[in-house]
Amino acid sequence: MMKAGFLRDLLFAAAVLIVLIVVPFIFTKPSLRDFLIYVMAYGLLAMSLNLLVGLTGLVSFGHAAFFVSGAYMFGLLMQSGRVSIPVAILVTVLGTAVLALVIGAICVRLKEIYFSFITLAFQMFIHSIILTWVSLTGGDQGLRGGIPRPPFFGIDLSSGVSLYIFSACVFVVCILIMRQVWQSPFGYTLRLIRDNPNRANYLGVDIVRMKLGVFILAGAMASVAGILLSLFVSGAYPEFGFWTTSGEAIFMIMLGGSQLFVGPIIGAILLRLIEHFVSIYTEYHGLVLGIVILAIVLGLRQGIADYIVEFLQRRKEARAAPAQDASAKDATFAKERIA
Amino acid sequence: MTKTTKGISRRRVLKGAGAMAGLAAFGAPHIAGAQAKVIKIGLPTILSGRVAILGTSSRFAVQLAFNQINEAGGINGRKFEVVDRDSKGRPDEAAKVTRDLINNDGCDIIVDGEASSGSFAVHEVVRDLGILCLHTCSETSSLTADPKQFSKNVFRCARQGIHDAVAGGSYAAKIAKEKGLKKWATCSPDYAYGRDNTAEFLQYAKVFEPSIEVVDQLWPKLFAPDYTESITKLMQVKPQAVYSALWGGDLVAFIEQSNLYRLFQNTAYFSGGLGDPPILTAIKNLPQGLNTAYRYNNGFPSSPENTAFCDAYVKVAPHEPTNWAWQNYAASQFIIEALRRTNGNTDSSALAKEISGMTVKKPFGGAGITMRDSDHTIINYPVAWGKTVSKSPWVVDYVDTEWSKIVELEKEWKKEKGYA
Repeated sequence: MMKAGFLRDLLFAAAVLIVLIVVPFIFTKPSLRDFLIYVMAYGLLAMSLNLLVGLTGLVSFGHAAFFVSGAYMFGLLMQSGRVSIPVAILVTVLGTAVLALVIGAICVRLKEIYFSFITLAFQMFIHSIILTWVSLTGGDQGLRGGIPRPPFFGIDLSSGVSLYIFSACVFVVCILIMRQVWQSPFGYTLRLIRDNPNRANYLGVDIVRMKLGVFILAGAMASVAGILLSLFVSGAYPEFGFWTTSGEAIFMIMLGGSQLFVGPIIGAILLRLIEHFVSIYTEYHGLVLGIVILAIVLGLRQGIADYIVEFLQRRKEARAAPAQDASAKDATFAKERIA
Repeated sequence: MTKTTKGISRRRVLKGAGAMAGLAAFGAPHIAGAQAKVIKIGLPTILSGRVAILGTSSRFAVQLAFNQINEAGGINGRKFEVVDRDSKGRPDEAAKVTRDLINNDGCDIIVDGEASSGSFAVHEVVRDLGILCLHTCSETSSLTADPKQFSKNVFRCARQGIHDAVAGGSYAAKIAKEKGLKKWATCSPDYAYGRDNTAEFLQYAKVFEPSIEVVDQLWPKLFAPDYTESITKLMQVKPQAVYSALWGGDLVAFIEQSNLYRLFQNTAYFSGGLGDPPILTAIKNLPQGLNTAYRYNNGFPSSPENTAFCDAYVKVAPHEPTNWAWQNYAASQFIIEALRRTNGNTDSSALAKEISGMTVKKPFGGAGITMRDSDHTIINYPVAWGKTVSKSPWVVDYVDTEWSKIVELEKEWKKEKGYA
């Protein structure tokens, strides 16, 4: 069963990757590539955060700490000129995982609002270090001088097309990894912790260890998002680690939905699309975004993707009304699948 | 059966059309009716948030300059169009909108109205894409002083920290000598710019007047609304003079709160950011005799060009020009003159070659502002300091500093920093 699911995910990922790679060759404007890289970086950040928010019920306000750590670690390693891009990525992801282990070991012992605020505190702590350690990080001016992109395995990321294809591959691989976690017994244990931690405890689940595991994984994935953004802008800036970046990731989850696996990506696409088009015509984009938030919070009361899935499910149930017993079973099954 | 087939077909068509429309939207420039001959000037800047005036006043100035040339018939028959984008003060957004302006909107030239880290993000984009760019708002010296940042198609048309530090230090030392101001304190925002700016000001003040002694340094948070704590500390320490790198709304709040405590009655005040007309007019009771660096003034330099610039600017903007406004207006003049010399050819290398070493008379007249060819940054712009008065023109008695002195000390500073 697991193998069949993995194969299906693999095929789906391959199809998405092919579409992502083909699209810029049909629509050749570089701005589409830029937009997609930007969305992939922030989509990955939101997806990684949703491992905590949607899957485990841990609302982290400080997830951008790992995003900024990824961008700076990678940028500094590349500027040192001593490592290749794959090695820098590997070291960055492992380094951020260690950082997440240290921060998570303290944070996951706390619950609800206390967890949220201690993650925020750690993020602001890291942000302050970046601002004050000017000799290493460049302070508030950011990591200056560009990020070198020496070719590796015949891939030259200085070319816009190569950078795009590389970003698409990294993005799809990360999403595939997160999907496997989402569908694994570990993922279902995390749902159990989210829904009823006491029950999970009585069943013998080591809650702290489980939470710490997903916290490290989410941190590592956020660092990959930071790497993609640093490659795109050829720099790293303290704003990547400011609380507003974490807030944006939470907003992407709210906008897209936290219960459907791809909800945060849909949120990232929608948010960036709104920003892209609104900022062309007016600087009052904050007003437009505020109205969108109000419409979603007051109107849908859940993310757009979650709402659509639920709507389709209700319609399916209504159509299958004659066979009520069967439909009831289907609905229960479908809800379980969504969760 | 037929119905189902039709339904699927319609859905497919709609989905396909939707996807095509969405994708095509990225492929098409948003400006309808753009003509092939129009030269597009991209302006990434900050148009929202606390420092929106930086972007809005920059936009007024760039639009003014290119509207003036459009009204005069353009260059070689080519007219100009300014396309602006809000970066919201975020470096990643600045990089993205700059790429959009070039790749999507087809801008030929970038006037970078970003401050601080945003300008470094734009710098990497234009270096990567090889397009002509003039930074117009970043005052960080390393943007052009550091040879690692050098790019043949990128220039800075903005004042910079080291020039201000020498001019400010020289002026402060002169006043200190005249009035016997030996005990100094500082009150600047707690971030890299605030600390660097303050350190450089004190360094050069001490070079010119070694008896200056710093008795305390206060670092309130950037964008802090309440400065009473710092003011109380200053009242307690009783320095003879205070230097502050506060700027914008923070500076307005600091001065208004200082007025309540009558801080300026017995303490001389030196500010690098007070001289902008919108800041001066935003302060309810502007105290007399505060010392400020020149940002912009309609009476200084006293020249017909400056008066003409101010008069034209106030017709399109709700306030007098800011420091960012004259910088953007001057940058536009460099671009216009370079295009004149190339007969409207927008090739970035050809334009860069013309701008290197160029001098423009607008907006200040006189000897003009020169784009130094060695490091692509401007010199000979006004670096004067003056004193505030409670009504228009708000700042008077400007004292200019010799540019030869600034350039000489700048050379030494570059050696110290390893830039030369």
